[in-house]
Amino acid sequence: MSSRQSRHLAFAGLFIVVTVTMLLNISIVATVSNETKQMFDYLDSLPESSVIIVSFDHEASSLPEMKPLGLVILRHLFEKDHKLIGVALLAEGTGVGYRLMQETAKEYNKEYGRDYVFLGFKPQFIAAILSMGESIDGTFPEDYLGNATSEIELLSDVHNYDDVAAVVSLADGSLTTHWIEYGNEKYGVQISAAVAASMLTTYDPYISSGQLKAMVGGLRGAAEYENLLGIGGSGARSMLAQSSAHLYIILLIIIGNVIYFRSRKKG
Amino acid sequence: MDPGTIVAGILTIAILSFLYGDNPVYKMAETLLVGVSMGYVLVITWTNTLMAVLFKPLFVESEFWLIIPFIFGLFMFGRFHKSTSFLSRYSMAVLIGSGAGVAIPAMLGARTLRQMTATVEMVQGDSFLTIFSGLVVVAGLFSTLSYFYFSREHEGIMGRSARVGTYFLMIFFGTTFGYTVMSRVSTFIGRMDFLLSDFLHLTN
Repeated sequence: MSSRQSRHLAFAGLFIVVTVTMLLNISIVATVSNETKQMFDYLDSLPESSVIIVSFDHEASSLPEMKPLGLVILRHLFEKDHKLIGVALLAEGTGVGYRLMQETAKEYNKEYGRDYVFLGFKPQFIAAILSMGESIDGTFPEDYLGNATSEIELLSDVHNYDDVAAVVSLADGSLTTHWIEYGNEKYGVQISAAVAASMLTTYDPYISSGQLKAMVGGLRGAAEYENLLGIGGSGARSMLAQSSAHLYIILLIIIGNVIYFRSRKKG
Repeated sequence: MDPGTIVAGILTIAILSFLYGDNPVYKMAETLLVGVSMGYVLVITWTNTLMAVLFKPLFVESEFWLIIPFIFGLFMFGRFHKSTSFLSRYSMAVLIGSGAGVAIPAMLGARTLRQMTATVEMVQGDSFLTIFSGLVVVAGLFSTLSYFYFSREHEGIMGRSARVGTYFLMIFFGTTFGYTVMSRVSTFIGRMDFLLSDFLHLTN
């Protein structure tokens, strides 16, 4: 078998494993890790009606992972009656962020302008983070829908980070680092994050140092968070497929190693 | 079913057809993705950057000081011609100078000083486990640093330390790779979830 054929076979196997397990339509309850519990407790401990910035710092390509994470965070924040300010530091996060906020706000009967607002995209993320530390309505003279921010009820008492209880960065890359470096280091605003699984090791040191208050990551993190919230969702629904895919990959690694060592023995 | 879901479903299948092999349907979907992404970013940049931050304030609200960044922005296009390429250096100088001025103190504080403090604080922990973890982190820090120290040959204690450093590096890369695989599998599962539930209605 050629390497090209074996590669296709491996991918086809993964396709079958994921499809079959998803067709079984079984939601499994994920055991909650300490990190996810810490994130849940942190957001839960914020005083009711706190003003929180939710920053959509991801691209559309990571949506399958970021959407379940974004949904659980927004649901938790709306459930606690917090006032949410949505921003996007990556252009592709703009449309996604607005849709997610609108979708969850509808579930909790939240009103745009009073309970939440979406300010849209601001280019040059470092400049945007620094500028919001001086003036939020100066950085975003208009919201995503073109309304003057000076006339939005929610923002009438919110001028800069001094009036914001926390920032939650939904990131698939390194943008949370900039929130830590400029938002937290310079202005002292508390940062927490919901990140793609591939970024978990990058942000771990910031949890240990306390620069990042809490963090939840990946589809597994979303499933655990859904468990804590007591709601179902795509996180829990995908956990069986995720676990089966991991077992399949482990099996491939073992088979690959056996073939490698046998061929080395033969010389 | 709304047209958006139908289009998304067909395009997802077109992208997944790459599993069979490179083919015109996949190429079409890939090209469409790049084009739509670029178009979207271009429109957002035009609306939120050029119009909102420059043209509207400068030409409608008469904030004439914006002519300075506007000119510096135009200088960047000087690179297209040999005789004017020197102009872009002024813009680059402002960009790099201000960027470094803003970034260096912040990065030094957040990435170096705060991280060093956290490393030392762990060793001073109140439980055996915390102190042990702290000592492992300190050992990892020094051994990894010694691996990247090239001013002295990696022999004797230095060599052994550098070797231990490679183990820490391997653990880090292994963990990161594992999480990256997990992330990619999640992306695939997300698309399959969409196909099976929203598009084909085979699951709830």
